[in-house]
Amino acid sequence: MRKFIILAVFSILTAGASGQTGIAPLDIDQRTLQNGLQVVTVRDTATPLVSVQVWYRVGSKDDPDGKSGFAHMFEHMMFKATKNMPNEKMDRLTEDVGGFNNAFTADDTTAYYEVVPSNYLETLLWAESDRMVNLAVDKGNFESERDVVKEEYRQRYETNPYGMLFWYVDNLSYKVHPYKRPGIGNLEELSAATLEDAFKFYREYYRPDNAALIVVGDFDSEQLDRWVDKYFGRIEKPADNIKRVTAVEPPRTETARFIKLRPNVPLPAVAITYLAPPSTSNEIPALEIAAAILSDGRSSRIYQELIYKQQLAQDAGFFTDIRTDTGLLTFYGIAASGKSIEAIEAAFLKEISKLKTEGPTADELMKAKNKLVVGILEGRETVNGKAQAIGNAIIYQNDPNAVNSDVAKLQQVTIEDVVQVMNKHFDENKRTVIYYKQGDETGAKK
Amino acid sequence: MTLGKDIKSNHARHAVITVLFALLLGVSGGRAQQPSETPPPPSNPRPVTIPNVTETVLPNGLKVVVVSRRGIPLVTASLLVKSGANLENEKEAGLADITASLLIKGTTSMTATEIAEQIEFLGGDIGSGAGWTSSSVNIGSMSSGLGKALSIMSDTVIRPSFPEKEIALLKKQTIDDINVSLKQPGAVMNYVSSRYSFGEHLAGGTRQSIGNINRNAIVRFHRQNYRPENSVLIFTGDISEKTAFGFAKLFFGGWQGRSDSIRKTNEVAAVEPSKSGNLPERLVSRLLVIDLPDAGQAAVGYMNRLKTGRSECDSGAGGAHNCRSSKVYFPAGVLNSVLGGGYSARLNQEIRLKRGLSYGARSGFDWRSSAANFGASTQTKNESAAHVAELIQTEIEKLIREPVSPDELVPRKAVVTGGFGLGLQTNRGVAGMVRDLYLYGINPDELNEYMNKVEGVSGDQIMEFASKNLKGGDIIVVGDSKMFIEDLQKRFPNQTIEVIKAEDLNLDSRTLRKAKR
Repeated sequence: MRKFIILAVFSILTAGASGQTGIAPLDIDQRTLQNGLQVVTVRDTATPLVSVQVWYRVGSKDDPDGKSGFAHMFEHMMFKATKNMPNEKMDRLTEDVGGFNNAFTADDTTAYYEVVPSNYLETLLWAESDRMVNLAVDKGNFESERDVVKEEYRQRYETNPYGMLFWYVDNLSYKVHPYKRPGIGNLEELSAATLEDAFKFYREYYRPDNAALIVVGDFDSEQLDRWVDKYFGRIEKPADNIKRVTAVEPPRTETARFIKLRPNVPLPAVAITYLAPPSTSNEIPALEIAAAILSDGRSSRIYQELIYKQQLAQDAGFFTDIRTDTGLLTFYGIAASGKSIEAIEAAFLKEISKLKTEGPTADELMKAKNKLVVGILEGRETVNGKAQAIGNAIIYQNDPNAVNSDVAKLQQVTIEDVVQVMNKHFDENKRTVIYYKQGDETGAKK
Repeated sequence: MTLGKDIKSNHARHAVITVLFALLLGVSGGRAQQPSETPPPPSNPRPVTIPNVTETVLPNGLKVVVVSRRGIPLVTASLLVKSGANLENEKEAGLADITASLLIKGTTSMTATEIAEQIEFLGGDIGSGAGWTSSSVNIGSMSSGLGKALSIMSDTVIRPSFPEKEIALLKKQTIDDINVSLKQPGAVMNYVSSRYSFGEHLAGGTRQSIGNINRNAIVRFHRQNYRPENSVLIFTGDISEKTAFGFAKLFFGGWQGRSDSIRKTNEVAAVEPSKSGNLPERLVSRLLVIDLPDAGQAAVGYMNRLKTGRSECDSGAGGAHNCRSSKVYFPAGVLNSVLGGGYSARLNQEIRLKRGLSYGARSGFDWRSSAANFGASTQTKNESAAHVAELIQTEIEKLIREPVSPDELVPRKAVVTGGFGLGLQTNRGVAGMVRDLYLYGINPDELNEYMNKVEGVSGDQIMEFASKNLKGGDIIVVGDSKMFIEDLQKRFPNQTIEVIKAEDLNLDSRTLRKAKR
């Protein structure tokens, strides 16, 4: 909360400068294997480290019916035994040699990543290729890992007083799209999943033509190509097509309001969402700029108005949650003691209206650009950060080279662009509003 | 929102260990059922480059440290003040953190909003805060924008104005934060263990102690502690030594020192935990339950105060000089890596991987110069809290009873040395390591020795450290007690369980209880 120590970064800037910041482009090599695997590499020998990542085009939106939370739970299973590796072998090959591994599941993608001393590159390529085809998790491990995921649910959503607020944000913001099922799922649907479901899901989505391999760091390019061909080239491309979500979220026609009561909410909170255009939309840079103006830093509009001047909120902010299909634009506020969430909602509306009618100032626009650019630059400090940026570009912009044009796109955003996206996407009569308070009942629609 | 296999790890937590990644052939492996392939072995490792640390001292006593790392055009600057909550009065707990947080909320020439606007217009941010042993202000910058950022930073450190309205707002926000934390079992366990097991007041303050803090106390704390001879300015990143020293002189050269000495009475805990004097026989000395009926999970931990600390110094005139890492520091670091410092450490193996009882279990040492707070903890569903408490006890007892085998020791040392190499990738990582050394007055040359020191730790040393230091701590469980209290008594039959209801909990009192009416 307020206790963190921020080490941040500023961009070069003299008065009146355009805010152009030199970010060295990533020198990307890419190719596609015959089996459809997309391979993207960047050689970077600054440290003796290498990051190996596999991003699959499967996410929580692909959870089987009645089994929400499945894609994420399945991600956990990918650390269990394969035909050639015992349980947790991936940890032996990374953590035990001074590296690390982890994975995450988002609505549209599931990504697995490792950073290791570069002399282990071949080992890791072998291991990632092995778990792409040879998973052999058994019933006992499946059930034990399911219990871990249930504890993750309890820790993040039930024990954290505001965890369920964001569960409801997903759940109540969509009418038809499977995005309405929060990625963590719920205890009942997690219990419904079986080992057979896991192998069905694995065969359906974990295949070379549904994945991107990203390698960034200290390697010899020819040797890397040879190893990729050797370990990934031999994986067969399945003949059947991959099942894709086809649901389309309809535009909203009215504002929907909900009250949700939970037993453990020390200060009431409110969330307001609007629908966002898909990640490939050319409006995204202007929306990111708007988000920075509204909510990035202590000089942002929401901090200044809601937290600092009016002192309505203990915490408040706005973020874009951009997805490959319809995403969300989400405001959230936790009331300061003695203040009401009605007042927070009204203050949000006022800030939105002001940005729609008056637009940002030129200084605000430049400040937002500088903050976003510096954030991108900070991500370039590590091999893991560079590979993550490429993974995001592949999944959300269908082009790894988009990492090299993100900055230019942000720099081109004008005051008028911000006004236009604000007016287009923030319609007061098309909101989902969630009031979240202490109480015993389950929430009902107001 | 994204979810993941594991909580994002924090490699900066245990300081500084070095160099070459261990060359490990076929660690573990072998257990698979007739694998048709085995992993290809590693090739020869490339060494990690340890950055040079250069230092100078300004005439006013400010130490200036530079770690020049070219490449990405970013610099961080961190002003470390070697005073923290250890130097505040218990009745004003939180004073050090409130003081540090207020530095960036107004100076004699800028308001809070102007500071935020000017720094953020440059694309950056400025942060400040205090822990038990230190306070700091931190900024980052593109190397070419550093001058402007440093001018603001020096203003916040040297000429803060501590406006009354900012004090009132920060106190209110801090109390709201505490109220939210008091609804979370993990946070409650941290609060309670500070008081109960570590004998320290709460560095972040309590609702009452924050209420007690006024502007006079803040001004006094600042005047007394924020002075050049008690501070270190650390640059890391894309900057030359010459430029850094020049900036330091320009922006901090006029900062005036004081001739009186800094009050250091509270250097070690003001409040000693109420334990008997001799080396304890049993691992668990007390068992405390905080009843939080609406908790979605229980927090379970083993907490112990160690009487050995981070550094050892030869005392010279005027205080500590010539310090080095203490003899226990490296054995403790490797022990922690074995027990709970990472995903594959024993606690996570036993609690999460084997039994599915938690999303993660960890341990750690929070160092003081001549003491340390040890904690091993996790969160689990209320029903399994007692089982998890027993598992934590078993794992710590095992460290006392059996030496760690070489097969286990080699990879767990690699976690420590590897974490160091990963930390060297970023300016923040390097800055954190350097800050830790300077805070305890340790010669930065230790950066070059750490690899050997980690590798030199033996299984016997770990066992000796464990048996000397880990016994006599407390099991603390915070959660919905009706779900686990019987099971807990069954699993700890010789232990008296002390239960405190959340509504009776008083963090301002050493007994943790509200006075009976």
